[in-house]
Amino acid sequence: MALWPFGVHDREHPSLGVVLVIDDEESIRKISRLTLTKAGYEVVEAENGEKAIEVLNTGENPLTVDVILCDIRMPKINGVEAIHYFQTQYPSVQIIVQTGFPDLNLATSLMKQGIVDYLVKPVEKEKLLAAVSRAVEQRTICNT
Amino acid sequence: MKPTVAEQSLIVVILGAGKGGSALIELLTRCAGIRILGVADSNPDAPGLQLARSHYIPTTSDAAWLVARDETNLIIDVTGDPAVPPLIARHKSPQAEVLGGTAARLIWSLIQAEHEMYERLAHAEKLSTLGIFTAGIAHEFNNPLHGIMGFAQHLQGETDPAIIDDYSHEIVALTRRLSEMTKGLNLYARTGQMPDVEDIQLPQVLDEAVKMAAFSTILDEVTVVRNYAPVPDMRANPSELHQVFVNLVINAVQAMNARGRLTLSTSVENGHLTVTVEDTGPGIAPQDLARVFAPFFTTKERSAGTGLGLYIVHTIISKYGGTIEPVSQPGSGTTFRIQFPLPRAA
Repeated sequence: MALWPFGVHDREHPSLGVVLVIDDEESIRKISRLTLTKAGYEVVEAENGEKAIEVLNTGENPLTVDVILCDIRMPKINGVEAIHYFQTQYPSVQIIVQTGFPDLNLATSLMKQGIVDYLVKPVEKEKLLAAVSRAVEQRTICNT
Repeated sequence: MKPTVAEQSLIVVILGAGKGGSALIELLTRCAGIRILGVADSNPDAPGLQLARSHYIPTTSDAAWLVARDETNLIIDVTGDPAVPPLIARHKSPQAEVLGGTAARLIWSLIQAEHEMYERLAHAEKLSTLGIFTAGIAHEFNNPLHGIMGFAQHLQGETDPAIIDDYSHEIVALTRRLSEMTKGLNLYARTGQMPDVEDIQLPQVLDEAVKMAAFSTILDEVTVVRNYAPVPDMRANPSELHQVFVNLVINAVQAMNARGRLTLSTSVENGHLTVTVEDTGPGIAPQDLARVFAPFFTTKERSAGTGLGLYIVHTIISKYGGTIEPVSQPGSGTTFRIQFPLPRAA
């Protein structure tokens, strides 16, 4: 399994990458955090789109976030709007959608907009790790 | 202007408050231009008498007294009792016509057929709602499923008892949530033909409707404001009341495109159990306001609604002697105000 994407070694921080996990459900964020930290990623959490934008904008260096793992249905700013914002403001940050909605139209339209993957819950941890690893790889390519 | 014959009320008395009489009351109270002067049955516990009282229709065990009322246009005899026709003949005023015997049986069969058709329609509307909300239902189930699978995967190979305890508690809580949802869906989907009437707390039905409405939308940006003043329980079929408020709440959420404020209230006002469902959506155009309860009237896309929701809401509310009134102005949201007669003190 490609857990160590090419090019990551010479990053400043020792982790595999930083993932911003956005989900309004605490238990879902907890699962993602467990899966990702055990695999060697750093995790930052936000409970909705508004908080996520705050995290990105108030962090010392927003570009330390490599991947955003984003739910769609959330209070305040929903996933679709949040994704649009991330892609406009932080075009090199890679986005993975992780949602309970098996909506083919939404998936197709978001994939066309350039998200890395549209994962429908329940997502097995191997599948999440594969998607995140792919995202980090693409992020690295973007930065070189 | 002098009212035409069609505009004048037809004044009817009903003899017999069993199944036939009840169905007749249910149907006639929905028809404009018909006034039921009273209902008589020698059995004080006949179901139609209770239904009549909920519509503020006078009831009596004295058929002769009711028959003798001289403003009556039509006496409908659904007692099937051979002693009743001679009693009618003795006491009725000369201009009152009588519908009885085979003609009344024919009407009873027609009403029963109409009633069955309606029951099927109401059930089909519920199932169609469930069909439209498949994606929402999948979403609501997939979240806890995701949690259960995630914690179970992390339990594999875990040896720390504190962590095992924590994750297994999470799994139990998520499983309970799933089970609550299936209960809610079952309550909604079960057939209205179940005759059971229960004492129902309206705030609880409203809260269940809000949970169901979560299935109707991909977004989750509705603030729910609850202004529940204490109200007495209402005696009704829970499945029917559930259908009324699920429809109203879903309409409100859809009207707001799932973004806005939903205000629910219960109160006792002017001797009525009053419920309001208020949204901050775009409102209903004045020309549509009068048509919202008509069958198959819809402003939604074909895939989002059957146009039967509010028709069925109106029918069920009328059945319990209630009224529903939409108050709306374009640009300032819509309030549906529902009033039921206060239950009589036991």
